[in-house]
Amino acid sequence: MIAEFFRPDGRHLSKAGITLLMLPFFALIFFAFLYPLVSLLSISVLEPQPTLENYRKVVDNPIYLTVLLRTLWIALLVSLLSLALAFPVAWLMARSKGPKVAFITACILLPFWSSVLVRTAAWAVLLQRHGLINEGLQLIGITSEPVRLLYTQGAVVVAMTHVLMPFMVLPIYGALRNIPADYARAAAICGANPLRTFREVYLPLTMPGIIGGFILVFLTSLGYFITPALLGSPQEMMIATLISQQIREYLDWPFAAALVGVLTLFVTVITLAFSKVFRFDRMMGGAA
Amino acid sequence: MLDGRTADGAAISLRGLEKRFGSLAAVDDVSIDIESGEFLALLGPSGSGKSTILMSLAGFERPTKGQILIDGVDCTPLPPHKRNIGMVFQHYTLFPHLSVVENVAFPLKMRKVAKSERIRRAEAALKTVRLEGYGQRAPKQLSGGQQQRVALARAIVYNPRVLLMDEPLSALDKNLREEMQLEIKRLHSELGITVVFVTHDQGEALTMADRVAILKEGRLQQISPARELYERPANLFAASFIGEMNQIPVDYDGGVVRLGGGQAIALPQEALVQPVPPGKAVLAVRPERVRLVDATSADALPVRLRDVVYAGAGTLVIGDLADGTEIRARIPSADSADLRAGTTLHMGFPPGAMLLYGGGAA
Repeated sequence: MIAEFFRPDGRHLSKAGITLLMLPFFALIFFAFLYPLVSLLSISVLEPQPTLENYRKVVDNPIYLTVLLRTLWIALLVSLLSLALAFPVAWLMARSKGPKVAFITACILLPFWSSVLVRTAAWAVLLQRHGLINEGLQLIGITSEPVRLLYTQGAVVVAMTHVLMPFMVLPIYGALRNIPADYARAAAICGANPLRTFREVYLPLTMPGIIGGFILVFLTSLGYFITPALLGSPQEMMIATLISQQIREYLDWPFAAALVGVLTLFVTVITLAFSKVFRFDRMMGGAA
Repeated sequence: MLDGRTADGAAISLRGLEKRFGSLAAVDDVSIDIESGEFLALLGPSGSGKSTILMSLAGFERPTKGQILIDGVDCTPLPPHKRNIGMVFQHYTLFPHLSVVENVAFPLKMRKVAKSERIRRAEAALKTVRLEGYGQRAPKQLSGGQQQRVALARAIVYNPRVLLMDEPLSALDKNLREEMQLEIKRLHSELGITVVFVTHDQGEALTMADRVAILKEGRLQQISPARELYERPANLFAASFIGEMNQIPVDYDGGVVRLGGGQAIALPQEALVQPVPPGKAVLAVRPERVRLVDATSADALPVRLRDVVYAGAGTLVIGDLADGTEIRARIPSADSADLRAGTTLHMGFPPGAMLLYGGGAA
């Protein structure tokens, strides 16, 4: 019975074996992702009757486009900030050995032990009117009275960066770790100073990891909900909050579905653009 | 040394080089003068300091003490990218995101050579290593030997006067290794460049180098041309590290050595590479110089045979002297047909084959 899932050599899986192992994954993708997405998108064009009216509403009202553009902007900020913070950490990790790597990895993964909600709430505590940061600023005399930190775009960007940065560190670390130490020596003996070695050798070879991390963080940021909802200003809403509001407060499923449609379109276009410029197959392979 | 040709290579002088890692001296007071255009091999077991010396030459290690002069200029404090030295590494270290020709042109790019000029010179360097027409390929598409030739082209494209090689052939299989040895020798005589070559393969060192420096535990043991190294090793370590060597404990009285079994052999003066004080000493003889002799011969030593190992052209004969000291002889197989383990025969050492070293066995 089991034999049928292996090829005659007994080491490689047969087609039946591969299909069986992949089945749960495809089932999950289909029932938990594709089916709901397609039914939601069909609501956007079929209700209340077959129409593009819901999409016209998105395009006509500048507020909705503003929310969309703001979402893209915040996602970009978070991605860039994550990259700036993650690269040195990944570099340090790739340069370290044994217990040091384990320690840094633990520092990066430890926050995952608490939920996003907890981490977001922690930022609310820090950033509130009489929170640690405001008190600290006054103590060292930078400000004379509490500054509005909570419920701002800045708070959203900082907290989202905190939550999403690990997704940037790991792919960059993977790419850096695959670069043999001899490459730096080879570049140096060829006459490259450390800065040029970085630019001509390390940066190009790390690019797949950077792109991978960037896409991961950027796309996750686009649909981020809890952090903007709890730390952001209602006047500066992001698109996920808007969609949730349409569903829960106005029960306007067709319009919410149209917003999802627009977001999906953007995500698809951006992903395709990235994969066109930087090939995905190389992204996974790393430097080697 | 270079067939009367004027050499372009730089002269290198290592003076009292020392590199300590904590309390461990990886390189301990090594001084070597390398002539312009010379091919020097650094040979030694792992941990002998040969790689550390090379890395100090390249600038990747800063010596704790001593100086490195290249053409009389002290470059001890210079970082690698300012030394203008070519280097080939053990693993090919071609940059995977660049094509073959871009890899070779890389040092020229760092030297701000105009693009068309650097492509032209890179193609010329590829031609020198016989890889014309491979420029547009990715390094990964080339075989190991070809990749190492590209690395070689990259190391010589900017006409450095010194070429360092860190076990460059150890990742290649035997046939390719021999082909590359000839290729490197050819390049060396064509370019007149000074080459410092690290290896743990004694055959490679003897074949390729003008001189071989033997290192042990960070110290220089001997630096000599190949023939001298093999035929007149300076000490027992050098004697046993290069090739095989029988080591027979003897008592030396200033002219005659006495073996454990009581036999006396009169030594010619050439047997002493360095002065040996009377007393305990070691008589060293290469197995291929040991002769089978008649029992009546004046220098005959009785040997009880333990093993006779037939290996085609030659046969290895292993036996024990009267005092139990193992002795090995390599003789032509044609002479060994009736040798049997367990029998006793007689061996003799020709006067020119014997070397005497003071102290105990290595």
